Amino acid sequence: MRMGGTKRADIWSLVIFAGFAIVIVFLIYPLFDIFRFSFADKETGAVSLANWKEFFGRAYYMRAFGHSMVVAVLVTVFSALLGIPLAFFTTRYRIRGSSLLSTLSILALLSPPFIGAYSWITMLGRNGFLRNLLISAGIRVPQVYGLLGIVLADTLQYYPFISLMLAGSLMTIDRSLEEASENLGARSIRTFFSVTLPLVLPSLTGGALIVFMMSLSNFGTPMIIGGNYLVLPTLAYNLYTSEISERPGMAATVSIILMLCASVIIVLQQWLSARRKYASMLVNRPVVKRLKGVRSLLAHALCYLIVGLSTLPLAVIVFYSFRKTSGPVFTAGFGLDSYRQIFFDVPKTVANSFVYSFIAVILIATIGTLIGFTIARKRNLFVKILDPLLMIPYIVPGTVLGIGFIVVFNRQPLYLVGTATIIIMTYFIRRLPYSVRSAASILKQIDPALEEAGINLGSPPGRTFRTVTLPLMQSGIISGAIMSWVTSMNELSASILLYVGKTMTMPIKIYLSVVDGYFGTASAMSTILLCVTGLCMFVVIKYFNRGSDTFIAA
Amino acid sequence: MTSIRIAGVEKRFGELLALSDINLEIEKGEFFTLLGPSGCGKTTLLRTIAGFYRQDAGDIFLGDELINDVPAYRRNTGMVFQNYAVFPHMTVFENVAYGLKVRKLPGDEISRKVRAALKNVHLEGYESRTPDKLSGGQQQRVGLARAMAIEPRVLLFDEPLSNLDAKLRVEMRDEIRAVQKALGITAIYVTHDQEEALVISDRIAVVNFGKIQQVGAPWEIYKDPANLFVATFVGKINKLEVELGEPLDKGLRKAVSGKVEFAVPSPGTEGRRSAILTFRPEDIVETSEETPGLNRLSGTLTSTSFLGTVASLEMDVHGTTIVIERHRPRKSDIPGIGSTVEFAVPPEACLLFDPETGARLGRGRP
Repeated sequence: MRMGGTKRADIWSLVIFAGFAIVIVFLIYPLFDIFRFSFADKETGAVSLANWKEFFGRAYYMRAFGHSMVVAVLVTVFSALLGIPLAFFTTRYRIRGSSLLSTLSILALLSPPFIGAYSWITMLGRNGFLRNLLISAGIRVPQVYGLLGIVLADTLQYYPFISLMLAGSLMTIDRSLEEASENLGARSIRTFFSVTLPLVLPSLTGGALIVFMMSLSNFGTPMIIGGNYLVLPTLAYNLYTSEISERPGMAATVSIILMLCASVIIVLQQWLSARRKYASMLVNRPVVKRLKGVRSLLAHALCYLIVGLSTLPLAVIVFYSFRKTSGPVFTAGFGLDSYRQIFFDVPKTVANSFVYSFIAVILIATIGTLIGFTIARKRNLFVKILDPLLMIPYIVPGTVLGIGFIVVFNRQPLYLVGTATIIIMTYFIRRLPYSVRSAASILKQIDPALEEAGINLGSPPGRTFRTVTLPLMQSGIISGAIMSWVTSMNELSASILLYVGKTMTMPIKIYLSVVDGYFGTASAMSTILLCVTGLCMFVVIKYFNRGSDTFIAA
Repeated sequence: MTSIRIAGVEKRFGELLALSDINLEIEKGEFFTLLGPSGCGKTTLLRTIAGFYRQDAGDIFLGDELINDVPAYRRNTGMVFQNYAVFPHMTVFENVAYGLKVRKLPGDEISRKVRAALKNVHLEGYESRTPDKLSGGQQQRVGLARAMAIEPRVLLFDEPLSNLDAKLRVEMRDEIRAVQKALGITAIYVTHDQEEALVISDRIAVVNFGKIQQVGAPWEIYKDPANLFVATFVGKINKLEVELGEPLDKGLRKAVSGKVEFAVPSPGTEGRRSAILTFRPEDIVETSEETPGLNRLSGTLTSTSFLGTVASLEMDVHGTTIVIERHRPRKSDIPGIGSTVEFAVPPEACLLFDPETGARLGRGRP
């Protein structure tokens, strides 16, 4: 849409320019350097394929690649096994407390990944209480480290992607489609396979791909519970921290391989969602059936078991945070020792987490909204180039971004290593695409005629945006910002590469405490993060009436 | 109150030529309608006048002012939108006051003008309501009041009634017309509903494929269509391909469609062998002794529909489907399916068109 013929630089040109500046400085520049280093000789810096030959030639590297694939596939399969029945039962049958179930599974989804891993260690680790309990009862239980632990923790965190997305589409299938099938003579089991399932298949595959992607790029879980079972993100981290040179050759190569895998998934997802999308105008919601007797009991048991399993690690952490401690070890009884320790020893860490995330969120919400508006409403050539560039962070795992940042911001002209700015920018870049997308999708639901009406009534474009568009986007922006705040608070994989003592944040401190065996501190800090996450969720659900899709998009 | 002149306006969307050489002069205070099927370019033209699109060629004048380079928000055209576009986050009062606040009018004047505008659309007392508490018709009244409140040079209507139910549509249509005449504001009205266009307009421009097909008063458009598109788009009409035969007396000529024979006006058909013949269902007459034998037809009734004031009869006349209407029908006017019905088409009701170009033959000739 062009307003008249005047071609003066308005606020939107400025926004597009800023968008390009951000993308170039904080994405393309670091990623290009990673790319360059992966093709550079370690000693001479000359162009060489040595790193790539080494990666494909040495079993050590190929094994990590294989591990990543095994983890991603297993987590996806198990998540589907948990997610599909949960979604089906909670949407089609009356399950008491189903909103509690979905709230708890969202909480599991949003909790920092390393908390689940760490909690499973306290339960089933070398000296885990549950394991000790079982062994004393004569049951042999393997230790949870390695593949088992990663798959267990990841599955119980990520299955809600599948259950929530699937439930969303199961609830919005037009009932008359299923009725039509039954009216034409199909039994209900046949209706399920020939009508219902094909209709919800896009959201099932969509959810599965997200799970695959998340477990592939997850750093916290394999770092804490993986032991010697190296996957690509932990491999990249180890390589980078051991390659003290200025040229992170192998780490760069591993990073690119990670990004390639992620790109394949994203392309697959885009292709699938473009191919099959059944928009429903939602005339009749599906009926929720009431089960009786044993069947009802079994359905309830299954749903509560699944959600209960994923809530268990969180509950254990909260429980442990109130145990009395003496140094690193727990002693008998309960107390607030762990919390006291945090606030006396590392108040700065807690403050950092809150302050950095807050600053990042302000940036994310304002810049994301402005860019989202240009993408939704101003389709010119520059916007068409900027739009896909903003997708880049989706395929850049935190570990890779961290390596990129530390490489390029460790030198002039932008010397940022060791500053709070670099951590804030990490949060900002990782969340920006979500914010842009969400602003653009909110705008798609706002009739452009409203803006045209404003302009037609004599209000210039800038004023129209402020008085018409922005107020209508407000609740979407705020709930999106809250979600950005939660994910920034819980960010570990990039910031662990970028922090120095004075810029330490809570997730980093939790990780270090676990490594050092200070479980009390770790539990208390995890509990604080969990409370913040839960509180944000509560606000978003209660005051913004947002459904589970808000959390999936996060 | 302003006149509008559109001179040689052209608009492309990529390959598509949405508007092609549009020339129109709309007079002060006129109610002017752009009528055409969806995708014909009528809305594009309206949005170009509003300034939401910039034409690729040609000029648009509001009064004497060339507005090609005036941005949309300075054009002072009050637009009424198809889906109302009432700001959902503002009350009725705030909606109507929006344009006045932009114009930095003092508070008491805003308040006075909002009240006057709401009175015009019969929404007094609704000031503090929010749009979600209003029906579709009420929302569109707010849209109308909001557009009028800024005292625009021209009111632009983009299919404002198409989302309303039939009864409300008729009611609102009459109100829009009444308010426009009372205030004397020039209005451009876009619709695909030919009946609406006929009722509401001073003049109509029929648009198709981005081109103006005909401009004229409703009566002229209906009775004297310039081409086959206008004839078939506006009102119901019977259409037959005919072979032109020998000349008859009184300036008539024979026209044959299969086994059906007509006497049709000959002017404009000189040297032609074939044409498209049309006549309107309501133009048929009961047969009597003095009707010329040639235009007497008889057919087998295939279906009937009764619409209260009119009965519409569809019949098969030697393999050609023809629809006729009987007004203020009595029971005996609607015979059973399969009956034979006799009727006649007066030669002056027959219009002829060029089969290739669709141009009307002999229009404006004696």
